[in-house]
Amino acid sequence: MPQVVLRTESLCKKYQTHFWSKIKVALHDLNLEVNSGEVFGFLGPNGAGKTTSIKAIFHIVRPTTGRAYIFGKDVGRHPGVLAKVGFLPENPYFYDHLKGTEFLDTCARLFGMSKPERRRRIAELLGLVGLEDSGDVQLRKYSKGMLQRIGLAQALVNNPDLVILDEPLTGLDPLGRKQVKDLILSLKEQGRTVFFSSHILPDVEMLCDRVGIIWQGRLVKTGRLDQLLSEKVESVELTVDSLEQKFRPEVSSLAAKTVERDDKLMLTFGDQPAADKALKLCLERGGRVVSFIPQRRSLEQVFLEEVKP
Amino acid sequence: MIRRVVAVAQNTFKEAVRDKVLYILVIFALCLLLSSYVIAPLALGEGGKILRDLGLSLVPLFGLAIVVILGTALVYKEMERRTIYILVSKPLRRWEFLLGKYLGLLLVLAVVALLMTLFFYGVLYWFYGGGEARLLWGIWMSFLELAVIAAVAIFFSSLSSPTLSAVFTLAIYVAGHWTQDLRAFSAKLPGSGLKGLGTFFYYALPNLEFFNVKNDVVHGIAVNPSHALWALGYAVLYSSALLALASAIYERKSFK
Repeated sequence: MPQVVLRTESLCKKYQTHFWSKIKVALHDLNLEVNSGEVFGFLGPNGAGKTTSIKAIFHIVRPTTGRAYIFGKDVGRHPGVLAKVGFLPENPYFYDHLKGTEFLDTCARLFGMSKPERRRRIAELLGLVGLEDSGDVQLRKYSKGMLQRIGLAQALVNNPDLVILDEPLTGLDPLGRKQVKDLILSLKEQGRTVFFSSHILPDVEMLCDRVGIIWQGRLVKTGRLDQLLSEKVESVELTVDSLEQKFRPEVSSLAAKTVERDDKLMLTFGDQPAADKALKLCLERGGRVVSFIPQRRSLEQVFLEEVKP
Repeated sequence: MIRRVVAVAQNTFKEAVRDKVLYILVIFALCLLLSSYVIAPLALGEGGKILRDLGLSLVPLFGLAIVVILGTALVYKEMERRTIYILVSKPLRRWEFLLGKYLGLLLVLAVVALLMTLFFYGVLYWFYGGGEARLLWGIWMSFLELAVIAAVAIFFSSLSSPTLSAVFTLAIYVAGHWTQDLRAFSAKLPGSGLKGLGTFFYYALPNLEFFNVKNDVVHGIAVNPSHALWALGYAVLYSSALLALASAIYERKSFK
């Protein structure tokens, strides 16, 4: 049984700008569990409640009701548990007049790290995020991508067991995105838990073990990525070569769509059993199988289905 | 706990110093030098006293300018620029954050006051052959007064925008110099309700005249060490109470 690292219990956030204005519910009863060692993708369109959920977990916004537990401890009552957590906010802002190293040093001091430990860790992190030449530059001179990277470095300064990243891939160029993705995968390899929000679905599909989809402040779907996607096998494509003409109608009759090109026969099946039957038939009739591909739905399709207005 | 508070305080100090807050020293220096040249020929032998009086007035005035410009935006800026997210997501208590901010501001004030004092003595030496050590009492008491006003600024900065905080802080500064008059005035008011309100404000507002020893030190009257000690105790207590109140309110705050 995997250990639950992050758990929210009916987390709810209501806002009221003025006492006369209408109460807006930004987050409805969020019940979520993230297990140790997994990469969890938190998906949702802009304004769906991703950032509010994360802020409520950290008590950056005080939840109206409900609780967030990290490593079994209520964050509101035991803020000390945050010593095991790293956090990168969305579009992070930092102190303009501090240098990269000074900023990381301040963050490290908040975790009570000693001076030699801080020095070693800061050099290591600057190398990890590719800012080893910019540590002595004031943060106001950093580009957006560099700020995102220094943000990642500060999130990892304490060697956290749980890393929570709010839109970590936003604002990065393709190279920067690849570096962040590699970083997330290396964190997973080290056995750390990563929870990140994003709306860049192919990246989520590539990185996550499990996902949760939030829409209008409600968690509408959670599950293992492979399950969510395999549930949604749309069609199966079978391509065979060297199948004699006389056997082709028999096989084609099972398919929803058939295309013949040269010596190849490309068949599309609406369901898996028909495809399995046709595959068996082709092999028995001496055909050579070039490919057999179940066409699953992309995460994007699953996502769009869930967040339909 | 202390490490975290010191980290926030140093961070605040570095940011403030690099944000060109020390330029205010140049204005101070120019004001003092210019005044010295103007006063010397017009003062009929009283130039030394006038310059001492002026220096002891300018030090708290420029300190107040720093508190209003820097202090009233200090906490609000962290919320507006969302740097607070980085801090409160770490094992840093909100009261530690406020205390760190306050101590960082005090450090800026201390450094600025020290540099202004050195320049003040330098000008006195240049024009009148030197300044008396007792003037330091005046500067020390002004620093304590600034420490109280800095706590007022941090209190308002954690609750409202810099402009409103600046207005409130300046209002408290002015009212804080009139608390004795407020008491005398409220005693003459009709009705126990109004009297009670006056008494409430008398105790709630900082008694800033308690720190005013300028006339004594300029005219050679020694400051009673027990008065200085009481002033220190009063400044520490008043600032602590205000920061505790700010922390209690800040603890419930949601950062949007």
